[in-house]
Formats: sequence, structure tokens, C-alpha cells
Amino acid sequence: MAANFWASSHYKQLMEQEEVDVVHSPDKEKGLTLDEFKLIKMHMANYIAKLAQSVKVRQRVVATAVTYMRRVYTRKSMSEYDPRLVAPTCLYLASKAEESTVQARLLVFYIKKQYNDEKYRYEIKDILEMEMKILEALNYYLVVYHPYRPLSQLLQDAGMTEMTQLSWGLVNDTYKMDLILIYSPYMIALACIYIATVLKEKDTTAWFEELRVDMNVVKNISMEILDFYDSQKILNEERISAAINKLALKP
Amino acid sequence: MSEADTHSIKLVADRYLKREVLGEGTYGVVYKAIDTQTGQVVAIKKIRIGQQKEGVNFTALREIKLLKELKDPNIIQLIDAFPHKGNLHLVFEFMESDLEAVIRDRNIVLSPADIKSYIQMTLKGLAFCHKKWVLHRDMKPNNLLIGADGQLKLADFGLARIFGSPDRRFTHQVFARWYRAPELLFGTKQYGSGVDVWAAACIFAELLLRRPFLQGSTDIDQLGKIFTAFGTPKPSQWPDMVFLPDYVEYTYLPAPALRSLFPTASDDCLDLLAKMFTYDPKARISVQQALEHRYFSSIPAPTRPALLPRPPRKGDSLNNRPLDLNANEGPTVLSPPRKSRRVMPQRERLEGHGHQGDKVDDHLYDVRQAASGNTGKSESMPMSVDFSVFGSRPPPRPTLNR
Ligand SMILES: Nc1ncnc2c1ncn2[C@@H]1O[C@H](COP(=O)(O)OP(=O)(O)O)[C@@H](O)[C@H]1O
Ligand SMILES: [Mg+2]
Repeated sequence: MAANFWASSHYKQLMEQEEVDVVHSPDKEKGLTLDEFKLIKMHMANYIAKLAQSVKVRQRVVATAVTYMRRVYTRKSMSEYDPRLVAPTCLYLASKAEESTVQARLLVFYIKKQYNDEKYRYEIKDILEMEMKILEALNYYLVVYHPYRPLSQLLQDAGMTEMTQLSWGLVNDTYKMDLILIYSPYMIALACIYIATVLKEKDTTAWFEELRVDMNVVKNISMEILDFYDSQKILNEERISAAINKLALKP
Repeated sequence: MSEADTHSIKLVADRYLKREVLGEGTYGVVYKAIDTQTGQVVAIKKIRIGQQKEGVNFTALREIKLLKELKDPNIIQLIDAFPHKGNLHLVFEFMESDLEAVIRDRNIVLSPADIKSYIQMTLKGLAFCHKKWVLHRDMKPNNLLIGADGQLKLADFGLARIFGSPDRRFTHQVFARWYRAPELLFGTKQYGSGVDVWAAACIFAELLLRRPFLQGSTDIDQLGKIFTAFGTPKPSQWPDMVFLPDYVEYTYLPAPALRSLFPTASDDCLDLLAKMFTYDPKARISVQQALEHRYFSSIPAPTRPALLPRPPRKGDSLNNRPLDLNANEGPTVLSPPRKSRRVMPQRERLEGHGHQGDKVDDHLYDVRQAASGNTGKSESMPMSVDFSVFGSRPPPRPTLNR
């Protein structure tokens, strides 16, 4: 599959961190900072994962939906594209693209169940309208590659399947960051394996050497993941709502 | 076109000048148009949205998703997509004709070199799909479009799928019946690129015979037609056959000489045909191997696309397909089917119901997987890493030596 990735639209669309970390002017004018921008995206990734659990779709669908959402915000502002509508719509679109369709009315049902907050409430017609806008924002590119398959493959080849649980969870957490827009899924998988083996104090220096990958990249990604866990310690709901409120979206 | 003209004529999405309707698709009309920005003639597929309250048509979405990844001279190019008045529009390069029109046109004589050229282009397009892990699943002559330059291109990816994950089970409700591989007719859920090879073989045979080769009227009849042509397969020939979900035993018929079915074909041609029509999908030749077969390197060389005979223009050759009911007696089913067979819509193409069945089938499988707590690997995996597993406090941050 790896050979496949390098010829894909996903590969061609990989961006630099600096390109991803751009707060669009309508949001900037409202005082949204880069940290808050990232925070909202992380919150929406969690929202997608929670909704996905209710409607029972595969992890792959969640990962694709979060990737769509993150790609949308490399091109569109949150002021124009309300994250609280974009998130469930991305899940809706990803479920179709990954061949496990979730009905829009089911999503709407669970959104209402999960959030009392009026501002999260959207109707089927809103989702269907937004679906078209998201397709456009994605420039109709829908195929996304994820670290899960290379992860399983690598762990199997290395005879380290006992690392699967931990590294799989780490991969899930990478979707709370923008890594999937910046690095190849293969490198993200390697970074997660690297962290897992360091945590479990397993020496894998020789194995990594044999892979002949750029260890600097693997370590950089690993650092970013660990930085992220550090930053999560000071995270709370209020900061998230404060950030979203700045956008002053729904009256 | 002058400035004034563009203002008086209504353009679709401020850009496309609408012309005549080209065909009615499964999920909307296809019409000819001129791109006023480039002057290029295009075909626009307008996808109906609305009725089912399920947004962008699932089949259309598949087509968009895969065509955006597939750029090849023998695959139809998706030039653009845009929403207009609530409908999604797909813009394709305009194609003058299709292979069905060529095969049907009694005024056209196809030389062995012409046939070689058409089937080679078909296989080239298919090889590119398979290289990208895409199964077309709807190979038939009218989905093979022919451009003004004579190039043949695979179109209609509404049933296509990525088959990267080997453990995923697919619906067998794919392909128009006459092009369906025997493993699909026996209900297999795990199949691969071999299904496209079988369909390509049917197209190959159709080019030689100038009529559809195996025209079954039901799934059981389709298998009967296949077994009449190539003999009832023995388990030694196809060991997995007897384990397929809808397997039924047929009376034994010996294989007639392939030469008797295709009297005019060369030896190389027959050899390749036989390899593509191999019963066991595991033993069936791959598209890439087929392209490397000596049939393509032996004389005559394939005709250059620009020199291929084609019907004058789209829609001009509506001669009726000559009737050939494959009237000879086929083998009969010996044992009763193990379970009642799925009722197939009596249509050439798996439209409407077929597509829906496909969707439901795939979706049901997901639901079943989810219900049985087996959502791929993810079910048993942590959603997130809870660092409390390492102790009551977050673990000391591991030091990574940079
Ligand atoms: N690019 C094109 N150029 C010219 N005609 C086309 C083109 N694409 C489709 N058509 C016409 O529209 C019809 C339906 O399109 P198709 O993609 O095959 O949809 P369906 O899923 O309904 O079979 C075709 O049979 C063909 O006549
Ligand atoms: Mg068609």
C-alpha cells in the first residue's frame, strides 16, 4: 500500500506546518489566536470521534472525517464554516466515502442527544447543504491514507505485535493534531511505534536502522506528539468554549 | 464567441454552454457542453440530488473519489466538478462513441489488428486501475468510451471500489450479468481483480463474434451458458468452487474446442482468451500478464487508435443488436440451491435496485461487524492513550535523544 500512497492525491496535498498554521483573516479579525484555532480543531476531532461511537462506524471513518475537517480549515475560515456543522458533516461524508454510510437523520438524532447546547443543533438540510460546500472545499479529493495499515504491517514485520494496543491508541491521538496533513501515514506510524517502544523501554535502534528511514523526521514527529500530551494537561472546557464564542457564529 | 453572445446565452455555472443530451445515466442526465473558457467540448453529468434526503448520491461519490485518483490515457478524465442549483455536476472530456456502438455497427469491419488495438486499450486502462488497487466492477462495451482521437477510455466508475484491504467482503451484485465472472455468480464475497479480467475476456469475445458472447437470462442460466462454452468445471480445476456460498452442482459437460467457438481467431488470440477465461480466479491471468502475452507482440500489430474504424457519430448507428439467444441446450442444475437465490432485477445493468442492493449489502456488513464487536482492529484498541496506565500520575516524559 505504501507504494500506492506516493502516487496518491493525499501525498501531493501534504503541506508544511507553517501553511497549516494559518488563521484565516475573518477569524483573525475576531481575535482568534493560533492556539485557539488548534484547540477548536482538536475539540471537533473529539466531537467527531464521539459521534462516530454512537453511530458505530469504523475507526478509519473517524480518521478520514477528521482529515477532511482539517483540510477544510486550511482553506476556509471558521467564521464562514461553523465547526459545529462542519464536524458532523465531515463524518457524514467520510462514512459515504469509506463505504459505510450513516444516515443523516441518525447523526442529527445523536447530535441532539449529546448536546443540549442550541449552538450544536443542526438539521438534516444543514448537513446536506454543507456536504456540497465541503466537497468543494476539498476540491473533491476524498481518498485519504492512514497510519493504521502501515502500523499493523510494521509491527508484524518487527515481531512486536505486543506494542499494537499502545501504538494504535497513539495513532488515534495523532488526529487531535494536524500531523496527517503534514507527514506521510507511514512516518506517523513509525513515530507512534517509536514512542511506544521508548515508553516500554524496548530497544529498537537496530530495527529502525534497518528500515533506513530518516530518524530525524521520526523523532520530530514523536516530539510533537509528546508536546501535545504535555499541552493537554492544561486543557479545559472553558478555554474551548471561550475560543468558539469568539467566532460569534450562531446568533 | 463574442462578449455579447456569452451574455445573451445562459451559461451553466457562468462557464459551460449547454448542448444536446447525450444519454440518461443511472443517477442523472449526461449532456454535451462547451467550456467557454477553454473552447473544449465536454460531457456534463448532472447528478440528481434531493428525493432520498441522503445528499450527494453514493454512486456519484464513488465515481468522483476514484476518478480524482486515476489519471491515465485509457481512463476517462474528470475535468471538473461543481454544484449548480443544488445539483452536483461532473465535467468529463467528451467522447464521440463507445465500444458497444462499434461492435453493433454492421457497416464496420473489424480486422484482427483493430480488435487487438481495442482490447489492448481496454486492458491498459484496467491495468492502471488494478495498479492503484481499484476494481472497476462494471466492465462492458458501453462503458468503454471512444474519443475523437480513437483512444478508448474506461468510464462509469459508479460501481468501482478500492480493494486494498484483503479482509473486506464485497457484494457480488456487480457487473451486468453477461460479464459476470463465475465466482460472482456462485455468490463469492471475497474476490479480486480477476472479476474485471473475466469481464474483459467477455468483451474480447464480443469483439471477435460481434455479439455478446454469453447471454444468460438469469444467474443460473448465465452459469449454464458459461459451462456450455467451456465445459463444467471440475473441482480439480477450481478447488474453491464447491465452498462458494451459492454453489450448485451442474450436470457435467465436456469442454468443446475453443477453436469451434472462435473459428477466425489466431492461435495466440485463443491462448490469451483461454487464460482470461480460466475458471479458478487464482489461476486466471492478471491484466498485466495479459498485456505481456505474445498475442500483443505477434503480428499483426495493433491498429493505431486514430486509424480505427468507428461509427460516424454518436447516436447515428442504432441498428438493432442481432438476436442470438445461444439457443443450444445448456446444462441443468442437479442439486437444488442450498438457499433461495437472490432475486435479480431483470435488467442488463444493475441500476436502481442493484445499486441499492449493493449499498445495503456493504452497509449491512459494516453493521454486522459493528454489532459483533469486530469493527476491524479498532474495537479492541484504545480510543486514546490514557497515560494513567503507566502509574497514578502522568509518566515522566520519556527523553528522546535527538
Ligand atoms: N464523457 C462522455 N462523453 C460522451 N458521452 C458520455 C460520456 N459519459 C457518459 N456519456 C453518455 O451517457 C451515458 C451514461 O453515462 P454513464 O457514465 O455510463 O452512466 P451510467 O452509470 O448511467 O451507465 C453513456 O452511456 C454515454 O452514452
Ligand atoms: Mg454506463
